[in-house]
Amino acid sequence: MHIPKDLVAASATPIVLSILQKEDSYGYAIIRKVQDISDNQMAWTDGMLYPVLHRLESAGFIDSYWKESLNGRRRKYYHITEAGIDECEILISQWDIVHRALHRLLHGKADD
Amino acid sequence: MFDLESQIRQWKTHVYSTGSIGQNDMEELESHLRDSMDELTDRGLSTEEAFLLAVRRMGDIEVIHEEFSKISTEDLWRQLLVPTDNPITARRNRKELGIVIGLALLGGLLSKIPALFGYGDMDVYSLLYLRNASIFAFFPVAIYLIWKRSLPILRSLLVLSIFPSGALLVNVYPSYEPHHTGLLLSLHLPMLLLFVLLYFFGGPAINREGQPLYATGWRNPNTRLNFVRFVGESFIYAILIGMGGMVLIALTTGTFDLIKIDAFPFITAWIAPFGFFGLFIVAAYLVIQKKNLIESIAPVLARIFTPLFLLVLISLIVAFLITPNQAYENRNMLIWFDIILALVLALTLYSMSSKDFSSNNASAKSQITFWDFLSFGLIISAVIVDTIALSGISMRLSAYGFSANRTAALGENLILLVNLLLLCVGYVRYFLQRQTFQAIVVMQMRFLSVYGVWAACVVIVFPLLFGFR
Repeated sequence: MHIPKDLVAASATPIVLSILQKEDSYGYAIIRKVQDISDNQMAWTDGMLYPVLHRLESAGFIDSYWKESLNGRRRKYYHITEAGIDECEILISQWDIVHRALHRLLHGKADD
Repeated sequence: MFDLESQIRQWKTHVYSTGSIGQNDMEELESHLRDSMDELTDRGLSTEEAFLLAVRRMGDIEVIHEEFSKISTEDLWRQLLVPTDNPITARRNRKELGIVIGLALLGGLLSKIPALFGYGDMDVYSLLYLRNASIFAFFPVAIYLIWKRSLPILRSLLVLSIFPSGALLVNVYPSYEPHHTGLLLSLHLPMLLLFVLLYFFGGPAINREGQPLYATGWRNPNTRLNFVRFVGESFIYAILIGMGGMVLIALTTGTFDLIKIDAFPFITAWIAPFGFFGLFIVAAYLVIQKKNLIESIAPVLARIFTPLFLLVLISLIVAFLITPNQAYENRNMLIWFDIILALVLALTLYSMSSKDFSSNNASAKSQITFWDFLSFGLIISAVIVDTIALSGISMRLSAYGFSANRTAALGENLILLVNLLLLCVGYVRYFLQRQTFQAIVVMQMRFLSVYGVWAACVVIVFPLLFGFR
């Protein structure tokens, strides 16, 4: 299913921050991870991830360092900061509210 | 045979060419591309297929570039003359800098031409230098704009020939005592040449096939508004750089004085003219370089001075009411009136250029601000001051007859009055929401042509009309 651009843009930040909260990672791995967890439903254009990462970095939610991989390729790894963890928590609780509201509409209030 | 490395190099060049992606970002993107290819070849694709698919997955470079440039706007001011880490941009910038330095030298060299004919002494032949100054200063700017905008060569040369023919005209026309037509010509030639620069700034208004270009070209009101901004910014830059140059000259003379060397003759003969006539092209270059980078200073100055000038105009009107005969008897007062009015018009132009009127949607109605009322007040008081000036001029005309200076003042004040009245009507209609702000801008930008025609008139016809006196 195609996910509209606005929704992708809005969800990108909490998704990226949550992935980085598990472990430091680099652009390519983050993209693959997103495809994995969404069963290939959320197809981001690869290139669009980098502006998102840069924005998060300049906002101070993540920082970055270069590291060489086993095959000798240099990769830029991203690491979540304290501010990023806080931000992630806020964003996820916001998404929870939206999600709960939709869920209640569909299934009635009873299951709460 | 598929050459992966050269393909990747080509792709990198393409990514770089958009301008906003630097070396670090590029390395990150390249490493991503290679990771992506590794995965695809593991799945059994050939190198070529993997490369094509990986590039496709990366997405539209234009869109990525757009996103990147959105983030880096805060850093953009650093790009002004600071080396960029994007190699293609860097090469282009170096070439441009070379051309600009060359053209700045050309301005200085042009100013040495009179010396070849034995008119080297600037103090003795000051009127000759004054007449030609705008040609020396603006010719390099014209060449730079032609190069920068890659204008069609043949038509550009045709328009560029206004410079040599202008030079011919001003130097063939004699000038007798008291040199009024000569002075008027020196003051109006820059105005005329600014229109030539406007042509090069906007490019031709019709394309090669003879079809009119509405969206671009020097006739387009938006182009003209941008040109007005460009001129204002260049002017401010030129003043700043010029002041720096004067400090430098003072320091040099002072230091050489200490070691008993008189550097002054060398400075006045070489450094000052090269500095002065190179100033304009350098200022123009800086403004064009940073145009997309930072907000301009001219509209900010316009905002600061609009309320102040309103006070000045009101006090002028009050002063005139208290001592009414001053304006008629003192011709210097009329000159000051005219300078103030010209500045008022410039202020109106720049507050106009800073207003965001581009949106023609429903919210446009609520955009009438305090500043619009202030501009309107300024225009109204300018109309009153201009009427006072005009009555003064007509008094002098009836008392002393038509001279070159008085006729020029009459013409200018009449044109100004018409312009101010048109602005008044425009603002009233805008306040009543009968028309958009855009309409005022379009009117004003078209009206600029009247000033161009008038300047041409003063330069070409006035000396003939008034016997070159």
